[in-house]
Amino acid sequence: MSNQRKRPNGEREEDDEEDDAEGIGQWERAYVDDRSWEALQEDESGLLRPIDTSAIYHAQYRRRLRMLSAAAAGTRIQKGLIRYLYIVIDFSRAAAETDFRPSRMAIMAKHVEAFIREFFDQNPLSQIGLVSIKNGIAHTLTDLGGSPESHIQALMGKLEAAGDSSLQNALELVHEHLNQIPSYGHREVLILYSALSTSDPGDIMETIQKCKKSRLRCSVIGLSAEMFICKHLCQETGGLYSVAVDEVHLKDLLLEHAPPPPAIAEFAISNLIKMGFPQRAAEGSMAICSCHKEVKIGAGYTCPRCKARVCELPTECTICGLTLVSSPHLARSYHHLFPIAPFDEVPTLSSSNDPRRKLGKSCFGCQQSLLGAGNKPGPCVTCRKCKHYFCLDCDIYIHESLHNCPGCESTHRPKSVSLLEE
Amino acid sequence: MEMEEGEGSTEEKYDVEIATTASSLGGSGVFHIINDILGFVLYMHQQIPSVLQDMSLDFDGLQTEFTDLEAHLTQPDVKPVVRRKLLSSKREVKHEIKKMQKLMTTISTLQSALQLLIREAPDIQRVVLILGGSPLRPQKAYELLFTRGDNGLSFEGDFSKSKATEALSKKTIRALISTGAGSTSCPGPMRLFVLVQAPPSLNLPQDFLPKRDFRYNRKFVPLKLRFKCKTQDNETNSPFNSGTNDLIWFQCRHIVPCPLKLIEVSLSLVNNTQASILAGNRSTLLRRRKKMIFKIEDVTVYFPYDNIYPEQYEYMVELKRALDAKGHCLLEMPTGTGKTIALLSLITSYRLSRPDSPIKLVYCTRTVHEMEKTLGELKILHDYQLTHLGAQAKILALGLSSRKNLCVNSKVLAAENRDSVDAACRKRTASWVRALAAENPNVQLCDYFESYEKAADNALLPPGVYTLEDLRAFGKNRGWCPYFLARHMVQFANVIVYSYQYLLDPKVAGIISKELQKESVIVFDEAHNIDNVCIEALSVSVRRVTLEGANRNLNKIRQEIDRFKATDAGRLRAEYNRLIEGLALRGDLSGTDQWLANPALPNDILKEAVPGNIRRAEHFVHVLRRLLQYLGGRLDTENVEKESPVSFVSSLNSQAGIEQKTLKFCYDRLHSLMMTLEITDTDEFLPIQTICDFATLVGTYARGFSIIIEPYDERMPHIPDPILQLSCHDASLAIKPVFDRFQSVVITSGTLSPIDLYPRLLSFNPVVSRSFKMSMTRDCICPMVLTRGSDQLPVSTKFDMRSDPGVVRNYGKLLVEMVSVVPDGVVCFFVSYSYMDGIIATWNETGILKEITQQKLVFFETQDVVETTLALDNYRRACDCGRGAVFFSVARGKVAEGIDFDRHYGRLVVMFGVPFQYTLSKILLARLEYLRDTFQIKEGDFLTFDALRQAAQCVGRVIRSKADYGMMIFADKRLPLQTCRYSRHDKRSKLPGWILSHLRDAHLNLSTDMAIHIAREFLRKMAQPYDKTGTMGRKTLLTQEDLEKMAETGVQDMVY
Repeated sequence: MSNQRKRPNGEREEDDEEDDAEGIGQWERAYVDDRSWEALQEDESGLLRPIDTSAIYHAQYRRRLRMLSAAAAGTRIQKGLIRYLYIVIDFSRAAAETDFRPSRMAIMAKHVEAFIREFFDQNPLSQIGLVSIKNGIAHTLTDLGGSPESHIQALMGKLEAAGDSSLQNALELVHEHLNQIPSYGHREVLILYSALSTSDPGDIMETIQKCKKSRLRCSVIGLSAEMFICKHLCQETGGLYSVAVDEVHLKDLLLEHAPPPPAIAEFAISNLIKMGFPQRAAEGSMAICSCHKEVKIGAGYTCPRCKARVCELPTECTICGLTLVSSPHLARSYHHLFPIAPFDEVPTLSSSNDPRRKLGKSCFGCQQSLLGAGNKPGPCVTCRKCKHYFCLDCDIYIHESLHNCPGCESTHRPKSVSLLEE
Repeated sequence: MEMEEGEGSTEEKYDVEIATTASSLGGSGVFHIINDILGFVLYMHQQIPSVLQDMSLDFDGLQTEFTDLEAHLTQPDVKPVVRRKLLSSKREVKHEIKKMQKLMTTISTLQSALQLLIREAPDIQRVVLILGGSPLRPQKAYELLFTRGDNGLSFEGDFSKSKATEALSKKTIRALISTGAGSTSCPGPMRLFVLVQAPPSLNLPQDFLPKRDFRYNRKFVPLKLRFKCKTQDNETNSPFNSGTNDLIWFQCRHIVPCPLKLIEVSLSLVNNTQASILAGNRSTLLRRRKKMIFKIEDVTVYFPYDNIYPEQYEYMVELKRALDAKGHCLLEMPTGTGKTIALLSLITSYRLSRPDSPIKLVYCTRTVHEMEKTLGELKILHDYQLTHLGAQAKILALGLSSRKNLCVNSKVLAAENRDSVDAACRKRTASWVRALAAENPNVQLCDYFESYEKAADNALLPPGVYTLEDLRAFGKNRGWCPYFLARHMVQFANVIVYSYQYLLDPKVAGIISKELQKESVIVFDEAHNIDNVCIEALSVSVRRVTLEGANRNLNKIRQEIDRFKATDAGRLRAEYNRLIEGLALRGDLSGTDQWLANPALPNDILKEAVPGNIRRAEHFVHVLRRLLQYLGGRLDTENVEKESPVSFVSSLNSQAGIEQKTLKFCYDRLHSLMMTLEITDTDEFLPIQTICDFATLVGTYARGFSIIIEPYDERMPHIPDPILQLSCHDASLAIKPVFDRFQSVVITSGTLSPIDLYPRLLSFNPVVSRSFKMSMTRDCICPMVLTRGSDQLPVSTKFDMRSDPGVVRNYGKLLVEMVSVVPDGVVCFFVSYSYMDGIIATWNETGILKEITQQKLVFFETQDVVETTLALDNYRRACDCGRGAVFFSVARGKVAEGIDFDRHYGRLVVMFGVPFQYTLSKILLARLEYLRDTFQIKEGDFLTFDALRQAAQCVGRVIRSKADYGMMIFADKRLPLQTCRYSRHDKRSKLPGWILSHLRDAHLNLSTDMAIHIAREFLRKMAQPYDKTGTMGRKTLLTQEDLEKMAETGVQDMVY
């Protein structure tokens, strides 16, 4: 109960902090609506108690988790694991604005960099390309590729903003690129749009229909306000449209695009893909790599079909066109299909006389005590299957990084093995 | 009944024969047909609540209801009474869910068993569905016979439903219905058994029990269906010629329990809805019907949507009280909250609940577009009421408009404006023209009118809701003139939708609205300008052109009179005699107390005879000549003159020798003369009609009017353009007969603030006057008052400041900045055309316009309607394609009054300045003086009121629904003074409450940069996804349950 009561207050507190971070004149805000002072609590000796931000953070995280699992609930949704994503970044005049500090442009670049890393971490089999809009023209910064470093390098080198923005040009360019990729891949476009208008050479509605026809999933993240055309584009192509309130929000919105989206039903026909699992070249062997055309010693992989040398995995062999991956990559993509169910929150107040509660005084993950300050039971969660208790940190860690429940893994080992064998 | 399995020789009769074109049905076909018939049987015999396909939907509905109830229960502050009720209904729902679940699982296992069966033995031939206590004692039985194709049935592997199968099963069900299957319902709970005839090799012990010996009771006759395939017509008589002895019956183990008699339960609930709702004994079943029925005091209201806004509910409550009190009311509710539907549904429901005293609804709209919208809403409502109440809810509703909108005669419609359409129509339909046509076949008549006349009293509209389009279609269909038909039907209609003029303009009202009975409810929608409409209806202006035209008209009349004298002197004499007897004896002015007292013709006029000096046609023409000369002389003046009607009449009397009584009769005398002279092209005679109108008004009213003669326009003193205006100052004059005559008059609009001023202006006593706020899930409007430019200097359109370059630059800068922050559409309103032209010229010179065009395209409103329409169209296109656009428009212009800038077409409205009226105008000054003297309304008060209602009207264009959002900027330093003064100290706000409630104190005195910041923040906030229904604390969509709860607990504590 106390948790529930705390949460709304906590949110208000969050909002406050966000606003502060944006650097608005505080006198402008109507505190009357906020009532942030009521969130303050005194302890027994009358001292102000610092607001426990970790609980708030966790509550927010759980809300997100619930949302995700609600979307995936019911039927098992097919997910496109092999994604071909173009990130379109709008470097028009509006990107130079400074409502995000130091500028929208810098913030975009910074978070896109983080996104690219996160994206490849979650989707090792996928590829990214970068496109920028400047002076009303769309430029290809990098072609589709699986190496985060090269994308980031290309992105950081081009940080300047000028001219108008053109959504149509960008879509046409991306469409041209993505139309060629094989049918098993999921074609996606993620547009970071900072301008509020688009100056197009032709009828953008036609372009949108074209994208819809070739199943491009276009998502837009706006940086200033809702635009009708962006909303329309996203609705038509099945993408997400969101507008960032501030920097933190922008980051969240971007990272939302990292896990693979559910596959479009009519398109989700499973078929077989030929892949190669190249071996790492022996230490000290010298070869010219096929990707950079440079002589390299040691590091590199050999394509199992044509024996060409490539530097990084996953990639497509430049000689024979075979998709090259390593088995850990496949395994890492796997967890999207079978996510762990979100843990249930343990009500704190009633728990003291709950006999089950006595079982786990410490977190099953990190073995830390679950008792909070003053020997009161702190907030914790429990796995629905194995009924083990976990602390909030472990909860996040398990769901976001580990993707396996330690409790289930340890107790039900024989069964899970047999399941695998089946 | 002999039913021997395996005896092919017996001739069997089939109730239904279905032939397919396909050579064989195939396994999946058979399955789907069985499945569909199963669903049909269950549904028709009222064993399941809805058709099989919709079961899952119902199930989901129940489930959500259950969770809702649980959520309600967990709330800490639930009253014990409510809690008990909730608990009982929760139990009920739970029980139902269980039943439903059981039913659904049985049906699905039955389906899968059938699938298995077909997979095993694709060539089944007979399937029997038995409804009853046991298979041996059937109540109903359906026997399905599938004849085999030559190649036998084979199973293709999947059970997907093909189009052919679907068509076939539809055909089957149609055939079943036509034989009357399922028309009788079976009493008591029953079960459904499925029996299949299959080879004994079938081995599905899980699902099917072999049953060697199966036959019905001797007396029982099953309904038989046979599915015949095309290829084996030759062997239909012996379908079982091979191996039939091997077939035995199998009974499916899965028996559909059919425990629910849901349909009957819910039907009985509908019947005593009133009782159950009153008693708070709400049944969960009611919820599943999607629309709403609820009680307001003793009236059952039918509302054709699933949810209702709280303010709509309150609106209805107030309206109902006003109707009960048989009084007038004044209701302000923001646009976009569904005012129209609330009004319509309450009044029609009110009518239904009082069948003994049927009230008539007269709904007055401002534009034809609004009329169509209203009728569209009414149609939805009417359909809903029909489905619920059947024939007793039938009403006749129609829209009435001018000939231009209703005519179907292509030749008449070819005329370009309203007056010429009217004239063209009269040319074909006037009685003397038709008389002439009887002799001379060359005279053109309107076929539609002729056949309408022929049908005479039989020309009636069947009950229903007719929009203008429907009326035209109906007229075309029957060959009846829709215009005259509609006019005729007005006396029978329950709901009439037409324009203000039909009630307010005395000239029209006398003809159209005289037959309305006292019990009618009159609604004026969008009535914030009703005082102006009233005034305009009684104001006349005369220019040089008018006089010249009138002179020409008189010449023509003169010629006509001469011609008639020569040919048909009897007519003129007959008219003279009629006039002696007095106007009252004329057919169309029958003086019953029913007809609307014409303000232009006070009652006593009916008792008087036309004065002697204008009875003769020539004399009347002479009198008019003299009047024209006098007016011409007055127009030659050098100075502005202002006179009261009394002194005008006396000087007219002394100089031209026309006395007041003569003047009074001018309009009717002219009318009579024109009828006598058989003049049809009335549009050419407009000038003389105007003059006579003027004369009658001057002669009739001594107070509330003034005559103003201006030699030139104030704004252009060098161009002589003399104008003589008879201006009405008292809005109550025109509307008074309406208030007197009808029992309830409802005046409603989005902006009626301050609401206490209207009763004074229109001099009536409302029994209810209220202003409703908009309940919103989020703060979707953001009004701001901007007083200073970016350089902190005040901005205003005050006369001494408006041309100041600093102010113009600040306004420009504001727009440039805003345009770079606001997406899609921005609308700007200026105080006048001249000011807009001036400021845009300056902006063009200083390059501000160019800066704006970098962000958005710029469009203007002009005085030309076509140009403006084109500009608006392009503006919308620019908003759609993402280029963004700015629309420059003028307050009080066409755009400000009638065009919506909802959604992305208007994210921001900037109101540059306060749209005060042109205060130096003589007419306005005269009116102000009159208002002060008669109604004790201060000049300043009235001016601010008028300006702010215009401003509110302008900014109100931006938001048209709750899902919408928009910002409003009032850019004038005078505004905070006014808003503050009235909102804080006097508690009398001149801006409507729904804007004021969002106007925070912090937003009252902004400069450009602060406004930009707020705009940015607001737009970001609004772009976030939100929950439409609102949370528990701030509910904005009420369901039926909420309403009933409100009825218990009282309205206020629920809504806010």
